[in-house]
Amino acid sequence: MKRHLKVIAPSPFAGREKILEIRGLGKRFESNGRLLKVLDQVDFTVGEGEFICILGRSGCGKTTLLNILAGFIPPTAGEVLLRGRPVSGPGPDRCVVFQEDALFPWLTVEENIAFGMRGPKQAVKDEVEHFLSLVGLTEFRSYLPREISGGMKQRVALARVLILRPALLLMDEPFAALDAQARQGMQNLLLSLWAKFAHTILFVTHDVGEAVKMADRILLMDGDTGSIREEIPVHLARPREKDSVGFLRLLRHLMERL
Amino acid sequence: MFGRIRRESPFACAQAWVIPGIMASLWFALSQTGAVPQYLLPHPLEVIRAGHSYLLGSPGETPYAGRFYSDLCSSLMRVFLGFTFALAVGIPAGIMSGRIPAVNRLLSNTVNGIRAVPGICWLPLAMVWFGIGMKTTVFLVALAAFFPIYLNTAAGARQVNPLHYRAGAMMGVTRIRGIFAILLPASMPQIITGLRLGLGIAWAYLVLGELTGVPDGLGAVIMDARMLGRIDMIVVGIVLIAGIGRVSDLLLYHAMRLLFRSARRTA
Ligand SMILES: Nc1ncnc2c1ncn2[C@@H]1O[C@H](COP(=O)(O)OP(=O)(O)OP(=O)(O)O)[C@@H](O)[C@H]1O
Ligand SMILES: [Mg+2]
Repeated sequence: MKRHLKVIAPSPFAGREKILEIRGLGKRFESNGRLLKVLDQVDFTVGEGEFICILGRSGCGKTTLLNILAGFIPPTAGEVLLRGRPVSGPGPDRCVVFQEDALFPWLTVEENIAFGMRGPKQAVKDEVEHFLSLVGLTEFRSYLPREISGGMKQRVALARVLILRPALLLMDEPFAALDAQARQGMQNLLLSLWAKFAHTILFVTHDVGEAVKMADRILLMDGDTGSIREEIPVHLARPREKDSVGFLRLLRHLMERL
Repeated sequence: MFGRIRRESPFACAQAWVIPGIMASLWFALSQTGAVPQYLLPHPLEVIRAGHSYLLGSPGETPYAGRFYSDLCSSLMRVFLGFTFALAVGIPAGIMSGRIPAVNRLLSNTVNGIRAVPGICWLPLAMVWFGIGMKTTVFLVALAAFFPIYLNTAAGARQVNPLHYRAGAMMGVTRIRGIFAILLPASMPQIITGLRLGLGIAWAYLVLGELTGVPDGLGAVIMDARMLGRIDMIVVGIVLIAGIGRVSDLLLYHAMRLLFRSARRTA
């Protein structure tokens, strides 16, 4: 297949180090003898500390893309380079907050957060303490996942990976299952943590408003061709007002394009 | 917000004794009216008297007096050994066949075939192989307890949420550590179910093994009493095995909860 010619806009992450490079990525699934082309010629680059939103309809391959970046499944074409090195297999430098609840039900909130930590006991304890308070769960430290709400669970899921200081944070519609109010709280929490830690974040969503509120840059995924259809830098000043003219204009543009 | 400790009310505790209580009362009533002849079902008081002598009498007083303690020790030893063998083989084999399709394919015909053979069929063979006594009984107990332990562990290991593996892998958990940090705790409810079923069956096969003419053990007492026509002692044996089986099940369950936090929190 021929590569699409793209008009190269001036790099939106000018001045940033390149952290992630995705080149000609493709993924096909074979099920029941039929070949399903989910991703095809996905190309993009992410700068250090950028907040990228990947926006696409349900079923367009967003989770598949994240699974490849996390190293859970191999691509059938192309390559993923993290700081210039090809990604093969999962590792604590690329952590995922999953779409579904993936906490360990036999561990308490604090044990879940400490799960990936190594090192001297006291240091681990202090770190866990710190992250418990960052996500506002100090009082719930000894609760089990089944005893806390969906929003709290996602905060635990966030804390257990942030504590590992991943170079890249992959988030798969992490707040999609929450009610509007809880979702807004989580978005603000994530933005404040991002400001504090300056992680690089790849945030998958199908919620256009969420993408406009959070992203430095929005990648529009095309379900039919399985590639990135458009890259839209978001130049709105933070914190972003949901009813500002610029916000609404971008929102309308994206709605039309999706 | 949530009560972490829930105490059961005295009423709820008493519920567990309702059915045994009714059964005992019916038995008492039937015997009192004389509707059932003594040689079919002895009077409860007869049984209590026989049981009392069996448990607390001094040896030599009557044929069974004071034998309980040594019978119990022999039987417990056989169950313990057989069950330990079953557990030591059943859990690793179950984990492997639950996680590794090749192992599952390798074992499924053999295990399910052997499982279909009723335990009593093994008895003659076991007697030829191991003679009468300890070894035969331990063999039968181990063989019988293996299947529920193996099958439940395999089912548990097979059903571990794949997201938990992915979460572990991305947080840097290696394969070996994953077995202890993810696989075993995630399968704990099924492992406990398998162990409890296995222990229950272990008691059944204990009696089978001891029916072959070993001199001591709770099953031996039942067989011996049958030959001597001591139906009261048969009932004593049955009641004791029921009681000890239940107590050992409770001990197993609480020991697992004491040893493993995943058992405390998910089983
Ligand atoms: N292991 C697999 N085998 C076969 N097909 C698959 C597999 N995983 C995903 N697919 C297919 O790939 C397509 C994209 O799936 P994916 O889960 O990536 O979508 P998504 O964009 O994350 O959707 P959603 O927004 O609903 O989460 C779907 O059509 C799905 O059926
Ligand atoms: Mg998805």
